[in-house]
Amino acid sequence: MNDSQIAQEFLATGCCTSCPIIDLHGHYGHFSGIYMPNHDSQQMIATLDRCGVERIVSSGHTALADMVRGNQEIAEVTAAFPGRWNGYLVFNPNYPEEAAHELDLYDERKTLVGIKFHPSFHQYPINGERYKPALEFAAERHLLLLSHTWGGSAYDDVPKVAQIAEQYPEIDILCGHSFYGNWDAGIALAARMPNVYLELTAAYAVNGLIERVVEQAGEDKIVFGCDLPWFDPHYAIGCIVFAHITEQARRKILRETALRLLRPRLRTI
Amino acid sequence: MEDITYWDCNAAFGRPTAGLVKPCISTSELLAEMDWHGISAAVVHHALMVDQSPVVGNAALSEELAGQPRLIGTWAILPPQTRELAESSVFFREMAQSNIRGLWAFPEEHRYILERLVFGKFLDEVALRRIPLFVKRSIGWPAVYRLMEQYPSLTLIVTGHGPWGEDRLFRPLLEHYTNLYLDISRYELDCGIADLVASYGYKRLLLGSNFPYAPMGGVRLMLARCAISEQARAAIAGGNLTRMLGKADLS
Repeated sequence: MNDSQIAQEFLATGCCTSCPIIDLHGHYGHFSGIYMPNHDSQQMIATLDRCGVERIVSSGHTALADMVRGNQEIAEVTAAFPGRWNGYLVFNPNYPEEAAHELDLYDERKTLVGIKFHPSFHQYPINGERYKPALEFAAERHLLLLSHTWGGSAYDDVPKVAQIAEQYPEIDILCGHSFYGNWDAGIALAARMPNVYLELTAAYAVNGLIERVVEQAGEDKIVFGCDLPWFDPHYAIGCIVFAHITEQARRKILRETALRLLRPRLRTI
Repeated sequence: MEDITYWDCNAAFGRPTAGLVKPCISTSELLAEMDWHGISAAVVHHALMVDQSPVVGNAALSEELAGQPRLIGTWAILPPQTRELAESSVFFREMAQSNIRGLWAFPEEHRYILERLVFGKFLDEVALRRIPLFVKRSIGWPAVYRLMEQYPSLTLIVTGHGPWGEDRLFRPLLEHYTNLYLDISRYELDCGIADLVASYGYKRLLLGSNFPYAPMGGVRLMLARCAISEQARAAIAGGNLTRMLGKADLS
């Protein structure tokens, strides 16, 4: 049996006191194609407690569909849970004027730590002109950028993300889903670019992938996320704590790398 | 928690043709991974059963499972019309002789329609004998709906459902067919297991990993810590599967 102390503690209690988790890929609220029993804020906080997640950073599902309504919503939801919940500002390039206004509101929304792109959902390439105002805004403030990335996508596969990573070294880019399916190219990009990190939501379910990323990109280039309220954090945690990697690598993935990235961006407790 | 015995209803070994990030070639590798995760036993199939032919793969599986009491074998089926596998009376006798306890249907890979017109009395007998039949959710929920409508007493396990929100698709099946089971290998929905158990009880959920396509660790911890009773956890972890396998009549 796996003798990892972290694994044993999670199995016994659901949490790990020596390694509270920082989750950098969360959401909030209902979403079109899925029934979610745990979509509201109190239910999500209960899940964080149950799974030993110290802090989560979310973009609202409402914001992915309607940026103006949803960014305000996630600002209010996260502000109600200081120290537990931060937000990303969703930038939808299909509405340039409203998007510019959303950037104007960033500074007053104190729980925000970065910007969220979903090029596949918004059907606009991440290296396209209309994302430029958000990228320049993020570069100026050294923000986090969490983007959906998917292998084979015309909008957010490796070459397009590589282009913005090279163009904006001031932005730390979290590649949500790790370019699902285009593993080797995604791992190579994370290994090559200091500002590119892989986040493994959905990709946890690929046997052996965590070991490959650790070996080829490095244990410092993976951050934890699980799309909550989509997925039970314990699924992702189980994949990490049972992976054939060192205890130090587990701590870095579950907490330390995310904490290092998050701390300079926090504007509230 | 330590008293619970974990059985995996959905694992495999062999060399998948398309390749995997980390395949599991042999039974010894599979057993080592089960040990790492604290999984006592597994219902398994062989990659050759899918990628080449059940004619070859079923035999390969039986050969490699000899002397492996923790690994419970399954065979794959084919339409009777092409006579590639033995006719039913011989087939079931050989299953018993080889200690094969369940069946798989791979209609996508083997290019057939999993319906009564094709399988007729063969699946009637599978249902009558309560032999579990496993299918992948990727055959499509409409196909599962048709199959259950045509064989309502069939013991069917749909594997790999979710994680992209399929409750709206499979919950009606749970309501209507008491012999329909789900493996939880990709049922990652936050609080989904607890929600399902509250609505439909715990008797038709099975621990499955889909190893080596997916790792065992995620589903192992998720089941160990989801908010259900210990009785429900023990049943999903292994009790439901052992009860199901015990009902199969291969005499």
